[in-house]
Parts: sequence; structure tokens; C-alpha cells
Amino acid sequence: MAVIETEALSKFYGAARGIEEVTVAVEAGEVFAFLGPNGAGKTTTIRTLLDLLHPSAGRARVFGLDSHRDSVAIRARLGNLPGDFGYGKRATGREALSLLAKLRGLDGLGRAEELARRFRADLDRPLGQLSRGNRQKVGLIAALFHSPELLILDEPTNGLDPLMQEEFLALVREERERGCAVFLSSHELDEVERVCDRVGIVRDGRLVAVERVADLLRRTVERRKVEVEFSEAVELSDVRAIPGVVGAEFARPTLEEVFLTYYRDEGGGEE
Amino acid sequence: MRPLIVAQLHERRRSLLSWGLPIGLWSAFVVAIYPSVEDALAKAVASYPEALKQAFGIAELTSVEQYLNAEMLSLIVPLAVGYLAVRSVASGLSGAAESGRLDVLLSAPVSRRRLVAAAFAAAAIELAAVLLVSVLVTMLGSVLAGSGLSFDRALAGYAGVWPLALLFAALGVVVTGWSLHTAVVTGSVAGALVAMYVADLVGRLDTGLDWVRYGSVFRYYGRAVEEGIDPLAFAGVTAVAVALAYVGALLFERRDLSA
Repeated sequence: MAVIETEALSKFYGAARGIEEVTVAVEAGEVFAFLGPNGAGKTTTIRTLLDLLHPSAGRARVFGLDSHRDSVAIRARLGNLPGDFGYGKRATGREALSLLAKLRGLDGLGRAEELARRFRADLDRPLGQLSRGNRQKVGLIAALFHSPELLILDEPTNGLDPLMQEEFLALVREERERGCAVFLSSHELDEVERVCDRVGIVRDGRLVAVERVADLLRRTVERRKVEVEFSEAVELSDVRAIPGVVGAEFARPTLEEVFLTYYRDEGGGEE
Repeated sequence: MRPLIVAQLHERRRSLLSWGLPIGLWSAFVVAIYPSVEDALAKAVASYPEALKQAFGIAELTSVEQYLNAEMLSLIVPLAVGYLAVRSVASGLSGAAESGRLDVLLSAPVSRRRLVAAAFAAAAIELAAVLLVSVLVTMLGSVLAGSGLSFDRALAGYAGVWPLALLFAALGVVVTGWSLHTAVVTGSVAGALVAMYVADLVGRLDTGLDWVRYGSVFRYYGRAVEEGIDPLAFAGVTAVAVALAYVGALLFERRDLSA
């Protein structure tokens, strides 16, 4: 049984289109990405699944339950990270998590401390004093601390630095290993490619393609370019002399690669 | 529901100081100066036009309770606490939507109806606490100045404000069913608060317009500090407030919570 299943799900805001006839299924243990630019309908789909928005037509089922009628039972089994995690300015992350734990009927904070160490999140400062990235870490902890069966994440790496993005992607892989289904929205192609099993491409509110990431890349990318790393300096002329090679050039590392290399070498702290 | 109520009360704990203390200090000042102005007041009130006295509920000012009612409990306290009521309930609903807290809370297994009930219950407790602080500070003023204010009467006077304020909290819930903008919620309910007060005043000034008072909760407010609480009015207004909050919860349940 699919964890998430939508049938011709549509949402209109008056005459304006949110999403139109979105039909998709996400299985347990699968990482599914909703990929599209801002305003494509990713957040509308997520908010409809969470019953924050009521569909104009079609239906959505989560864990086989109706997303509207059984919303409370569904939310007991999932973790959600909103697009911009907010909880007011005065409360600390720990206070927010403590309330969520009580609402979930937990005695303690579950995996919150472990996740806070992993994301280097400060749970004891008022959320209003945290940067967007640090608030996002608290939001990720809130989504994950109770080990849900389904994670719904709206642009989860927004505001996270590259090091924490790596940590997040590693965590998503671990959650998949645990059997958790992950439904995330993103416009970061790199992040989707690295962690997702399947991707749904949404354009102007319509789902225009659902593919396995590997198939999508195979079909759409012409595989003529190969990056090769050598253990020592080489002359480009030697590489060009290899039969079949028509060109070779030194690739300039991206800032992200330099950043990650530096931090890996330092073994270290984020801030 | 209890964790939600506790969280909202914790969030709004400062209102005891920012609302309860100023109202209490102002009332304490009024009570404290009463012994020194008592004689002059009696003469002044005797010279007031009868219609004016009737409109503002001033039969005579021969006791500290009557003076407290005329100066504080007939206008300032109900308007101030009525406004606090809508601010309180708005912070738990429209304010939470604006800050993003609503999205976070509704990620947990809690129904919207329960969320509304918690916001309304927290507002009810906050109002009671603010009124209690006010009455205690007022009594302190009376004791220090030797004004002789009866604690039972003072308690009844401030308690009488509670159902009236609760009704405006409930109206705030109803408006939240249409708008998640705090400015719209507080603005419209504050407008209703003033309109109801004016309607009651007009109805009392002009007996021909007495019927307009039926549209105002102030008609059922009374003068509890002088006459004690009218249990029927107290229970009736409270019941209407609860019923309105329930209607608001249904509206809130049916609306979209847009990003």
C-alpha cells in the first residue's frame, strides 16, 4: 500500500490555480521529490496533504486514510517541516519541542537531543534570536524527533549551510533505511539527484513527469563528459592523446567543494 | 488540550503585569482618593442632570463601591479587558498563523477544534488572572488609604467583567473563521466592543431607543460592585460566549490555512 496516494488532486484559490489533477503515489522506504520552481504548486500539494488546505477536487490518502477526515490520525504518524519554520520569537526550541512531544503523547523529547548534537542546533536560545538556518535546524528536529513513518519536508535545506545540507542528506538516507517514506519539495537539482529515488516534476500546478532519478538522468543527459581525478599532476596534452578523447580541460572546483574540503580537513565546527 | 493552554498562558504571562497591574493601580488610586473627595463628590453628583446619571449608572456617589463603579467599572475596565480578551484569543490563532506556529502545531495530532478550544480557554484563564490581580491591587489601595472597600463587592465588580470580556474573545474566534490577519480580528472586534458600548449608552439616554440595547452585551453587564453579581446574566452571557466560540471553531475548521 502506498504511503501517499493522490488522485486528480486539485486546489484553486478562487480563479487562481494552485495545483491541478495531481496524481502520484509514494511507497514506504522511498524518497520522493517534488521538483519545480517557486510558485509551481509544491507547497500547495504539501499543505493539502496535511489538511491545512482543503482540495477543490480529487482526493488524497495518507497511510490509506483520508487526508481531511482522518487528518489527526495521519499527523500522529508523520513529521513535517514547513517551508519557513516559525514558532514565535520568545519560545526556545526546547520549549517548542516539549509542547510537540506532549501533543504526541511522548514522555520525553525522543531523539531531539541526539539530532540537536548532530545538527549543532541550539535548543536553549529564543527562536527569535536564531538565524533562519538555525531555526530550520530546530524545524528539522521537530519533524524527526519522534521517528515518524513519513516525513513531509518543504524545501528542507533552505538556509542550511553546505555542511548541514550534507548532514541532512545523510539523515534522509538513514531514514529511508529505517523504512520511512520521505516526500520533499525542492528546487535544488543537486540535492534531489543525491538522495531521491523518484522525482515528480511539477510545472504550473501540473505534474508533468514522474521518473526514477537515474532514468531521468539517463534520458535527459548526454553522457559524453567524464570527470577524472588523478593522484598527481598531469599534462592536458597527455589526456588529449588518449584515443577517443576530443577535449580535456582543468575543472575549477566549486566554492561548495572548497568549503566542504576545508571543513572535513578541520574535522570541524560549524560556527 | 492542557499542554496547549499552558503553552499559551506561558506565552502571554506578561499580560498580568502589562494589563492587570496598570488597571489595578489605577483602580487603587481611585479608591485611595475617595475619602478625601467624598463630600465634594456627593454635592457634585447631586447637581448632575438625571439623564447623565442614568446613562453612566451614577445613582449617587455615597460609597467607595459606587465611586469605583463610576470611575472604573462602568467604562474603563470593561473596554480595556474586552480588548485584552480579543488580543489574547487572536495571539493563539491569527497571531499563531502569522508567526508560523499554527503550521507547527498542526503538524502534531491535534484537531483544529481543539486548538480553538485551547486558545479560548487560555484567554478565559488569562482574563480571570488579570482581573484578580486588578482586584487585589485595588484592595491594597483601599487598605492603605483606609477607604473601606468591601472585598466581596470589589471581587464581584471585577468578576462581572469576565463574561463580558469572554464574549469579545468569542467574537474574536468567530472573526478568525474569516480572517487570519490579527489586525483584522482585533480591529473588527474592538469596533464591535465600542459600538456595543455606544448602543447601550444611547439606549439608556433615550428611552425611545431602549431596543438598541438588546444588541449590546453591556445591557446585561449591570453594576456588580454595588449590587452583586446577577447569576442569570453572568451565566447567560458566558453561555452565549461559549456558543459563539463553538461556531467560530466550526468556521475555523472549514477554512483554508494559507501559507
